[in-house]
Amino acid sequence: VNKRKLLPTRAALTLTPTAVSKIRLLLQEKPEYIGLKVGVRTRGCNGLTYTLEYTMDKEKSDEEVLQDGVRVFIEKKAQLTLLGTEMDFVESKLSSEFIFNNPNIKGTCGCGESFNI
Amino acid sequence: RQELYRLPESSQPLFTAGQRFFSSASVRKEMSGESSPSDDKVHLTESCVKRLSEIMEKGEYLRIQVEGGGCSGFQYKFSVDCNKNEEDRVFEQAGVGIIVDQESLEFVKGSTVDFSQELIRSTFQVLKNPQADHGCSCGSSFSVKL
Repeated sequence: VNKRKLLPTRAALTLTPTAVSKIRLLLQEKPEYIGLKVGVRTRGCNGLTYTLEYTMDKEKSDEEVLQDGVRVFIEKKAQLTLLGTEMDFVESKLSSEFIFNNPNIKGTCGCGESFNI
Repeated sequence: RQELYRLPESSQPLFTAGQRFFSSASVRKEMSGESSPSDDKVHLTESCVKRLSEIMEKGEYLRIQVEGGGCSGFQYKFSVDCNKNEEDRVFEQAGVGIIVDQESLEFVKGSTVDFSQELIRSTFQVLKNPQADHGCSCGSSFSVKL
């Protein structure tokens, strides 16, 4: 009897190619870290904002996303919020930033940093 | 034919008018120091100067505009510009410069322009704006003190 049940899984977070190459570059400069950690924090005019930091280890509750050789961890608190989100990196002469195209959000602030669900 | 001259904006309070003339005439080259509330210059932080000298070609300036919009009523807009118009004020420091038009200057005078570098984003920001009451956490939008 085959007990194995095949469940569809989808990466909680997808990275665009530009995001992958930027993260790879960032991690090459800081080889002591294993990846980046994405979280959400209550802040801003619309309730929530994303956080991004380097991380040295994977915590038990973190969801790991491995794509094209780079690792991004999602904090437990942010996992539901971020489900299905695409992480992109946009660079221009005056600014460069990671942006999150999140299908779950209801509204954002004009600056794009703050959002609500 | 009679030429019409544009009068200066009447919203400029009288008591700063004298200082404005003074600061634009002779002290423009002065490095940014502690700003007084009636100061009508825009200051540049070290990281802002450094970043501008990295990205700007000769003759290019960072233009700061204030527009209506954003979650708090007004928002800052940054762009690269190599044209100076007559009503623009230029603030130069260590070989780089920013341009602010007269109308926007009313909203940003006395504040500091910084280049903030974080992992999630690197961008120019207007900090310590004496005119701004409270802003959005992102710093791109603000409301004006009445």
